[in-house]
Amino acid sequence: MSDNPILVIGGGPAGLAAAKGIADLGRKAVLVEKEEYLGGTPIKEKYAALTPDFRDAEEAMGEMIKAVTDDGNVEVITNSTVTSVEGSAGNMKVSVQNGGSGKTIDVSSVIVSTGFDHFDPGEETQVYGYYEYDDVITLTDAEKMLKEHKFVKPSSGEAPESVCFIQCVGSRDRQIGNQWCSKVCCGIASKDAMEIKQILPDAKVFVFYIDLRAYGCWEDDLYWKAQEEYKVNYIKGIVTEITKQGDKLIVKGEDTTMGRPMEIPMDVVVLSTGMEPSEGTKEMAGVFNLPLESHGYIGTIGGPLNTVETSVPGVFVAGASTGPADLEDSVSMGGNAAMKACAFAMKN
Amino acid sequence: MARSIYRDRKYKDVPYEVKLDLFNQVKQDIRWKDFMKGCFECGVCVGACPTARFCDFSPRVITQTMSREDVDTFYELMNDMIWDCSQCFSSTRCPRKNSPGGIVTIMREVAVKNGLESAKDALKTYSRIIYKVMSTGTQVAPDMLQPDFFPDWGPNVKVVAENLDVWRRAIPPDTLHTTELAWDVSDKTKFQLYMIFKLTGNLELIEQVDEGIYDILGETIEELMDEYGVEADEVENILEEN
Repeated sequence: MSDNPILVIGGGPAGLAAAKGIADLGRKAVLVEKEEYLGGTPIKEKYAALTPDFRDAEEAMGEMIKAVTDDGNVEVITNSTVTSVEGSAGNMKVSVQNGGSGKTIDVSSVIVSTGFDHFDPGEETQVYGYYEYDDVITLTDAEKMLKEHKFVKPSSGEAPESVCFIQCVGSRDRQIGNQWCSKVCCGIASKDAMEIKQILPDAKVFVFYIDLRAYGCWEDDLYWKAQEEYKVNYIKGIVTEITKQGDKLIVKGEDTTMGRPMEIPMDVVVLSTGMEPSEGTKEMAGVFNLPLESHGYIGTIGGPLNTVETSVPGVFVAGASTGPADLEDSVSMGGNAAMKACAFAMKN
Repeated sequence: MARSIYRDRKYKDVPYEVKLDLFNQVKQDIRWKDFMKGCFECGVCVGACPTARFCDFSPRVITQTMSREDVDTFYELMNDMIWDCSQCFSSTRCPRKNSPGGIVTIMREVAVKNGLESAKDALKTYSRIIYKVMSTGTQVAPDMLQPDFFPDWGPNVKVVAENLDVWRRAIPPDTLHTTELAWDVSDKTKFQLYMIFKLTGNLELIEQVDEGIYDILGETIEELMDEYGVEADEVENILEEN
């Protein structure tokens, strides 16, 4: 049995849940975070409210962070990255780099929870003009405004009369090589659409989608609610391109269920950008020699029945480093990984 | 979105405000909240709809248009598609608990109340039936369907009328037992019907869409009033006395 601490890499929802789980099981954890703060993407990208429960993101994540930082069993190292590993199962020597200085930590097992990056919509889908038009923004840009309890046309600072969301930007697209569904964007767009209608009740809000994937209870908690109570307009059909006419953006596509082409003027277009494996996830896959699954996320070995174990003994994964994940997935996997990493430490 | 779903739009366009006013009249109906929740455009209603098998009618298009609050398309439907519904309510099986048939009911009522040309056109063929129901309270009896009176109902009226007894034998229940009673309605019933239609605002509705029937209904009741030697405002008293 190894008494060395368990290393958790990445301090987002999955990593925080994992570190707290390890500490609650009575073992030491070391949580290494690249940024100078904990909380992961919800904090970094300034999310307004969490999906699906509309809880204030900063407040909710703050509770998770405090539970970890207040726990004497967890050592938090921020502004740091893991650069290399030596040794094997049960006794790994991990190099942690903090700016110019570095140190080596002996650990018994590892949990990689390095998450995802949002797809950069200017990178390959130029048809949406993300870098050309000020009023074409992403879900995270929208979240930043909503966090300030406002929603305006970035070009003028005025309240928009019409807003649309375009789903599956950077997802489900063989052309750009991302064939997966990013799982959360339909729910998040629905949530954001409701928040926009709360601020601007008279605005027309549209969601253009390929398939509306508000799975589980998100169906009526988010999708039906947005449609029935907030009169958000859901139109099956993806926007082909965006052009500019005067002050307005023109979205062009097909209203498929009505069987007619459409060209609608919009004040603000929100691109529902999907998930990609983060830089950190790719780097950690390299450092720990973890095979990737076919989409480029870190591969696990148990199929649907073991979502956290990798083919490298003693190295576990949690959250969106394994594929698109919502918060429920991420914290559940964090807890599962904590349990399995502790069990591994006890046996080795 | 203002682009018509019909290639050959047959009605005159009106200002957006006029369409919005009609749309709001539909939404203000007391049944609206029960009939319209939200539509995810699954098409189960179209699969269930008998009319959709035979003509360009879609309960889905009606429901999704209303769900989207697409006022321009709503006005198109008011002028065309809503009159194709057979009001069988098979579409009530909607998983979102919408009632496409019910939505059509409300839209038709608003079309009639506002005297839309489409309502007049749609009801034209039924003027004799409306007259019959409103004046006697009974439907047109099978033997009344004579080619002279129903030339606009197509050649089958003649074919059926010539051998009515044979055709009617194909229908299992008795259908010719009311023919003699069809006109045999008491004066009291006629007065009552008139008052019901008058007091419930139905006479006014009919005036909106078919002035001809409205006039004939008025003449019929006036003749009756002459017979009894009463004025219009005395009809209520007659009913109370009898």
